[in-house]
Amino acid sequence: MGFRDYYRQFEEMGPEEISAELLALRDERRRRALSRIDPLDLSGTEWHEPPHPDAVNAATFALRRALNTYPDRSAGALRAALAERHGLAQEQVAVGHGAGELLRSVCAALLAGGGDALVAWPGWQPLPGLVEAAGGRAVPFPSAPAELLAHAGPDTRVMLVTSPSDPTGATLSRRAVHDLCARVPDGVTVVVDEALGEFAADGDDAAPLVADVANLVVVRSFSKAHAMAGLRAGAALGPRELVERLAPAGGLSAPAQAAAAWAASQPGAEVAARRRAAASAAHERLAAALAGSPFSAAPGSVPFAWISSSEEDGPGIAARLAAAQVFVAPGRLWGDERHVRAALRGPEAVDRLAGALLGR
Amino acid sequence: MVGRHTVGVPRNDPTDTGGLFIGRRPGTAPVRYRTPPERGGAGRRFLDALLAAAVLLVEALVVLTAWGPQPVAWMWVGSQLDYATGSVFLGIVAAFFGLIGSLILTLMLATRLDHLWRLLRRAAGHDQREGVLGRIFVVTAIVAAAGFSVWFLLLEGPGSSLAPR
Repeated sequence: MGFRDYYRQFEEMGPEEISAELLALRDERRRRALSRIDPLDLSGTEWHEPPHPDAVNAATFALRRALNTYPDRSAGALRAALAERHGLAQEQVAVGHGAGELLRSVCAALLAGGGDALVAWPGWQPLPGLVEAAGGRAVPFPSAPAELLAHAGPDTRVMLVTSPSDPTGATLSRRAVHDLCARVPDGVTVVVDEALGEFAADGDDAAPLVADVANLVVVRSFSKAHAMAGLRAGAALGPRELVERLAPAGGLSAPAQAAAAWAASQPGAEVAARRRAAASAAHERLAAALAGSPFSAAPGSVPFAWISSSEEDGPGIAARLAAAQVFVAPGRLWGDERHVRAALRGPEAVDRLAGALLGR
Repeated sequence: MVGRHTVGVPRNDPTDTGGLFIGRRPGTAPVRYRTPPERGGAGRRFLDALLAAAVLLVEALVVLTAWGPQPVAWMWVGSQLDYATGSVFLGIVAAFFGLIGSLILTLMLATRLDHLWRLLRRAAGHDQREGVLGRIFVVTAIVAAAGFSVWFLLLEGPGSSLAPR
């Protein structure tokens, strides 16, 4: 380096040069932002929007009011609201840390002495694992729940049904659940996982049956239609001698109780109904976009679609979507090589999903 | 090179930071170089520090001439023109515009010296963000005013009546 060059390297940039550099940097960022395709994760089933502001307010109020004290361990207000909503006695309602935890408790209570659990399949993916963890033997049957009756044996203790089904979205009607409960052998309890129950058509949820059917347990969630997955709140409805064993020892947190109580109210039910309508509209939008193509999705009102193709298998569909930065749950999680499950997260996401499937 | 020295700079726009002004105060930005400079060894930095001190001294002397020697010199030139041409106006005009011109040249020279001083200070290892010309002007003005006051009040001006010889 020459003598003059040595000292010239200590020259600072002028304001114009700095401005030009910052402008070039901004342009570069814009160019990158425009050329970047953000990944779209459609592998989950939780609702894609935040909870209703009133639910957040209820949780926030509870959080600020008495965080230093223990919550109501009996969750009396929440249980009373749920009991009124479903026409049950309060003693028939237990609340816990999400539907998953309650299903774990149900399995532990019903399968403590071993036995078989017939699982309508495909259903909620962790169900067989919960049965095994409880000491039972999971027997998944890829058939309609009503047909499970034919497979019930002397060791059968539980029949587990997911309705609406995750991943297919198929719903077991209230009448079908009633018939199933009436026809199962003595000593067999029917457990309906209704985490997606708010997305079932009016009159098709099994919760009201609990008042009259002694061998039925229905598990509900506030994570899906009420968009409160982060609060981990759920409810189990069933015979009082069973549900009293399901509640967590320390109870549900005060914010979760408050938000869930709002969700159990009439305004909460109206919000859930609007989300069901939005999910149905998303199904129709997807079906319209895929019309005439090899792809098809079962119609429904759940916030996800069970997609298959006449020309490609499930891994092929998943790979096609992944190439477009759209990620879905592969059907092999349920032992199905023909389908993928994709969440329907609003019109833009549905359009992008359809575009990725069709190669647009 | 674009963006090389700005990557990692925190965003200081309050609209990006939830209303918090997290950036530096105005006027405290670090020196932004075109390329990261490579400084010499300790010996060279010491030599650069000496050179910077010398340049600072020259700069101060140059600026100091603006407060006394230059006006005096141009008044002398004006008086000579008056004497040679018999025109007081010509003498005043020549002294006035000559002084203006020489002050501009002095300022240009001082600015270049100040720039050179900044480079030498940075080469010597200092984070020298600004020059020192403004402060030199103030200090030399004080020095010149003090010197002029002593000369005018005590030695040549009303000093003879205040302190009769």
